[in-house]
Amino acid sequence: MTTKPETPVLAIENYSLDYDTASGVFHALKNIDLSVHRGEILGLVGESGSGKTSLAWSIMRYLPKNAREPGGRILLSGENLLEKTDAQIEAFRGRRISMVFQDPSTSLNPTLSLGTQLAEVLVRHRGLTRKQAWKEGEAMLDRVGLKTPAAMMNRMPHEASGGEKQRVVIASAFACNPECIIFDEPTTALDVITSCQILDLFVELQAETGVASLYISHDLALVSRTASRVAVIRRGDIVEQGAVRDIFANPQQDYTRELIAAVPDPARRLVGDIVVDTDKPLVRVENVSVHYGRKPFLAALTGRATERVAGNNAISLSINPGEVLGIVGESGSGKSTLAKAMTGLNRFEGKIWFDGREIRNLGDMDNAYRKDVQIIFQHPDASLNPRQKISEILSRPLKLFGDASHLDQKVGDMLEQVRLPRTHAQRYPHQLSGGEKQRVAIARAFASKPKLVICDEITSALDVSVQASIVQLLLELQKASGTAYLFITHDLNLIRQIAHRIAVMYRGNLVEIAPAADIDSQDRAEYTRRLIEAVPRAAGQYL
Amino acid sequence: MADFIKRLLRTPQGAIGVLLVLLVLVIVLFGPMLAPHDPETLAPLTRYKGPSAAYWLGTDQYGRDIFSRLLIGARATVVMAVLATIAGTLLGAFVGTTSAFLGGRADELIMRTIDAVMSIPSLLFALLVVNLLGSSTVNALIAVAIAFAPGMARITRSVALSVRKQDYVNAAVARGESSAYIILREMLPNVIAPIIVEMTIRISFAVMLFATLSFLGLGAQPPAAEWGLMVSEARRYMHLSAGILIWPSVAIAVVAVGFNLLGDGLRDALNPRT
Repeated sequence: MTTKPETPVLAIENYSLDYDTASGVFHALKNIDLSVHRGEILGLVGESGSGKTSLAWSIMRYLPKNAREPGGRILLSGENLLEKTDAQIEAFRGRRISMVFQDPSTSLNPTLSLGTQLAEVLVRHRGLTRKQAWKEGEAMLDRVGLKTPAAMMNRMPHEASGGEKQRVVIASAFACNPECIIFDEPTTALDVITSCQILDLFVELQAETGVASLYISHDLALVSRTASRVAVIRRGDIVEQGAVRDIFANPQQDYTRELIAAVPDPARRLVGDIVVDTDKPLVRVENVSVHYGRKPFLAALTGRATERVAGNNAISLSINPGEVLGIVGESGSGKSTLAKAMTGLNRFEGKIWFDGREIRNLGDMDNAYRKDVQIIFQHPDASLNPRQKISEILSRPLKLFGDASHLDQKVGDMLEQVRLPRTHAQRYPHQLSGGEKQRVAIARAFASKPKLVICDEITSALDVSVQASIVQLLLELQKASGTAYLFITHDLNLIRQIAHRIAVMYRGNLVEIAPAADIDSQDRAEYTRRLIEAVPRAAGQYL
Repeated sequence: MADFIKRLLRTPQGAIGVLLVLLVLVIVLFGPMLAPHDPETLAPLTRYKGPSAAYWLGTDQYGRDIFSRLLIGARATVVMAVLATIAGTLLGAFVGTTSAFLGGRADELIMRTIDAVMSIPSLLFALLVVNLLGSSTVNALIAVAIAFAPGMARITRSVALSVRKQDYVNAAVARGESSAYIILREMLPNVIAPIIVEMTIRISFAVMLFATLSFLGLGAQPPAAEWGLMVSEARRYMHLSAGILIWPSVAIAVVAVGFNLLGDGLRDALNPRT
């Protein structure tokens, strides 16, 4: 931006937002000052609970009943949105200001065709007839890069992929040439390659239309790639704002510095490259396949062949003692399916060799195997029973696998091992933060002193700074105990930091396994190269 | 706990429900002490009287004080209904959770059996059980409990199915926990909230079911002061004094409404997101 117009398209002046809750007033936003000019992308970066989405909703004027606005103004081209009536706001939304949501599968109505939903916007705000709107909609879909716009108009949301749906949502946001568009984490729910394409589309459309964009994200790398200016928000406060270059090259605030440092950078390896090359791997997975679904009763009677959904197709890999093996792939590529097969949660065909023992089916997984192979799940909210105290959660593996004497003492030790205070034993999971809960889950996995710990996307539900500390904890534990990890993730930058070898999966197949250092070499399989290319580079490397 | 009660009393339905249920509880506990008259003393001279200072709610066809009979009958009526509902709920909850945990063919088998049992109306089913076991108060209780179990099992299963998919259950399975531990300690505590709500609503059904059984002569026997029996006996004398029929009916309605409202209040209070 060289010449800025006089009035910004969107200006937020000294705006505050409170929520009335049962336990008193919660200050969601405090004295926010932001402005977005025409043709500009302002990135708003913050961790979960920082008030990013609250800000988006207060701009859209769609706040819950317990919201209070003690002061400030939100100006759209000089008009204060706080003073508008409901009817005026309704006319605003979609026409002059629109929003793109995180998850396209929930922001589209599953019972209406894509075309109907797109045409609706045009009929409502541009006064077109149904026929005109349909035609215009086709043109829009063509503009957002969908190959068969006419056919796409007639499809239902479930007949389109996530990327296609998000394109439709973006088309309807741009449909009325609004002055300002709010993007609320538009690529978080999408796969790496798809989100890269969506991002390209966004940048292209933005440059073409010159719309003022507020791009909300928790991902610094993404923001540094798209935005021209960045504002960092923390607990309802704008910590710092400025040009992308300044923020990343020369952050003024400690918090910003921490955030930038926490973003995984594949160039900074966190484990030594000791490739423990032994003839005897700890685990050898041989041609393991997993199929979902049950044979229908009638088909079983008549002997009719039935097609089952394959989760894994004949996967073979091995893990050495003390090794970190990363598995990457898009959602639905069968990463978690494999993890579940190895922990006895899914039936499988094929063989697993563990520590010299052969395991052919779930029945072979005895107590000793379960003690040695532990799994940590993605969402700590879901993996800790909300009705059990931390002490009960942590004492179960002790009772099952070890001796149950001095339980209180041991539970306390376990908590200290994962850097939590001993007093947390008396708490319930909901009284802990997301990072603390994941630490409890880690403590539970390590309680039985396992030889292999399977980490199933364990950091993807956490904020960047928390993710960094969790990863550090895992690596410390590994150093202390020599445990091998099977680390499943979709974050290539992270896995390149911590894994010795990386396995790439695609649609239930194992594409290849390569040493982490060579994953970006040109000799890799075509899919791996595409994946590596699509990954946003670490923050600040676009400068 | 204090926080929970505060949340419960914050909604109007919760507050009214708690008030009515407390009232019923007081009557159950202290009814016999509070009753001004003996409930079984016949007084041929004071039959079909309207409300007066001596007989607050009037007298019935034998000249007995309706108010005293209501106070004393509360024990038989409400305690039985609550016990039967709890028994039925526990049975149903256990079956439903087990079925959801096992999944696959076992789930299919259990649920289809339950569907078959549910296709018999609960009153008919209770009648069948009472006929098999003989008519007595305890048998009526068993009958109502068994009649309630399939419905509870079905509701519990639908809740437990979503709990089954949670990772803490997966974690327990991967850890090699026994099925009994997973069902009783991991799953049941997490399905209990909707079950308690459903249970409070069913208590009012149980009151009515008991009343019906007594009405048909299969539950409590005269001259017991059970409310359902009182209604059934009053039917023939309705044209002489409407009060004989109205007051026990009102009492049953108060219990039903009270527990229903309490159930609504509990549903909101037990859901921390509202």
